[in-house]
Amino acid sequence: MTLNLNFKINLNPFNLSIKHELSLQGITGIFGHSGSGKSTLLRAIAGLERNINGSIILDDIFLIDSNDNTFVKAEQRHIGLVFQDTRLFPHLNVLDNLKFAAKRCQNRRLDFNEVINLTELGSLLHKHVDELSGGQKQRVSLARAILTEPKLLLLDEPLSALDRQAKINLLRLMLKVQRELQLPMLYVSHSLDELQQVCDKLLVLSKGKVIGYGGIHHMIHQLNYSQNETSADDFIHQQTSLSLPIKTLNNGHGLAVLSLSSSLSECVDIYLPALGEKSVQISEKTNEQTLRCFILASDISISLSEPLNSSIVNHLSAEISSVNIKGNNVLITAKCNEQEFFVNISIFSQQKLALRVGQSVYLQFKAGAVRTYLY
Amino acid sequence: MINPDLLALYTTLKMAALTTVILLLIGTPLAWFLAKMQSRFKVIIEAIVALPLVLPPTVLGFYLLIAFSPQYLPGELWQQATGQQLAFSFSAIVIGSVLYSMPFVVQPLQKAFEQLGEPLLEAGAMLGAGPMDRFFNIVLPITKASFITAASLGFAHTVGEFGVILMIGGNIPGETRVLSIALFDHVESFDYAKAHILAISLLAGSMVLLSAIYLLNRPSKKIVQRGRNDS
Repeated sequence: MTLNLNFKINLNPFNLSIKHELSLQGITGIFGHSGSGKSTLLRAIAGLERNINGSIILDDIFLIDSNDNTFVKAEQRHIGLVFQDTRLFPHLNVLDNLKFAAKRCQNRRLDFNEVINLTELGSLLHKHVDELSGGQKQRVSLARAILTEPKLLLLDEPLSALDRQAKINLLRLMLKVQRELQLPMLYVSHSLDELQQVCDKLLVLSKGKVIGYGGIHHMIHQLNYSQNETSADDFIHQQTSLSLPIKTLNNGHGLAVLSLSSSLSECVDIYLPALGEKSVQISEKTNEQTLRCFILASDISISLSEPLNSSIVNHLSAEISSVNIKGNNVLITAKCNEQEFFVNISIFSQQKLALRVGQSVYLQFKAGAVRTYLY
Repeated sequence: MINPDLLALYTTLKMAALTTVILLLIGTPLAWFLAKMQSRFKVIIEAIVALPLVLPPTVLGFYLLIAFSPQYLPGELWQQATGQQLAFSFSAIVIGSVLYSMPFVVQPLQKAFEQLGEPLLEAGAMLGAGPMDRFFNIVLPITKASFITAASLGFAHTVGEFGVILMIGGNIPGETRVLSIALFDHVESFDYAKAHILAISLLAGSMVLLSAIYLLNRPSKKIVQRGRNDS
């Protein structure tokens, strides 16, 4: 599925101006700080923004073309949207909210009860929407959007009002829905942690413009470099974003093991805290082969000799590929088995160790520094 | 021969019922239009709709009387279309009542539509519901209480109307002689016993109707309370 965007919307104080073609498979993240225009972009695709100059084409169908006044109404686009504030109908209970969507779906292929099972809403059907928790509401909202059987599902910050556990549950549900229904999703969020866990690709917006589009890990790494150019409220945690094959989720000594493999050299193990019983079960049930994780650049340190006598379990031999100095901070990029790692150190340490491009070093980080959001 | 006061009651109820139906049919789209309107002319239309609240009914009645007379266009058109004179007819007092009670129907509806806003309508559109579908299955059920309020206020206000009807309807039994005018007649002829019966009935009727409105508007508060206890 391809989505061709070529339009402008006048937003105060800037224009949202996008000319890009996205190939929509799996979950595509849209990242940007508040006011970057990401929600407006989603509303434009949904058909909720009227004053658009240009065109939006989804798989050869013109949704909008201001040149010949084409405007397909939101209700005719076969696009689903999960709102940040759920927008469940207050005069209907859960079941009737879901039926509202199912009734208006033209060629029903999905089984109503299967969707209820998939979204685990069986026990909530007869509750009034006021009686639901935030996470439950958002699950109903997701189920309701799925029941219209859209070609494309848009999610506008669906997690922002939820607590951590509810966020994790909903992210898992999004992945499950995506896999089982093969439904392309566009997922808007200002949280890189959440996007990193579920997205395959990432579109980055800043002040109404696309500043990057590509594979999720690659894009997050690109953002590391742009960090200090943006203002303080555009803060991003510089990090190394990884999808690694799972060796074991619990090695019996409190650690999980992932392998950082490469065609060239032997594989290197990366250790992180063992996952809990429940997470292991979920992972086995979904037959998860890889794990998404990230390491903050501030959590990795550099040593010139191999730190063998240390409690820090992860130490990788790497070669420095770039040294970026910005004020008192130095961002070092080092490659281990072709994988880039990002390290943030002070200018003091950089000078003390005389770090330069091409130098061989050891990267070290504790198991606890390898973070994963879903488990 | 039928009791003239019962005939007046029948005329009043017929007029008020017809007026309420017409007001809901005209007032709903007007209120919707005003709620969604962003132009600066909005205040002018709002002022026109609200005018009967402050205008002496006799002023409105006076201008309507002139407009309804066959010498002027509205009255002339009516006469050509129906073959009957508009002034001093049942139709005249219904038209007068529609204008006079308009704010009582439009204002509560407009407020309800404004409060509802766009979010749920957008949600409906994203689920494949077109404009009419959204109105009947989202707007109407959610703003039901406001519709009941609007209809009841419009009805009650029409029943209590006096000045406009006196000006444009006169006092024709079975046609334009409504309760408030019958009451005035009784007082003028010093028949206070009959006047009391009508006055008490009108008072009691209004009281019952208003109590019913407030009773009907209560359940929505309960839902709000339940929501509060949950969070």
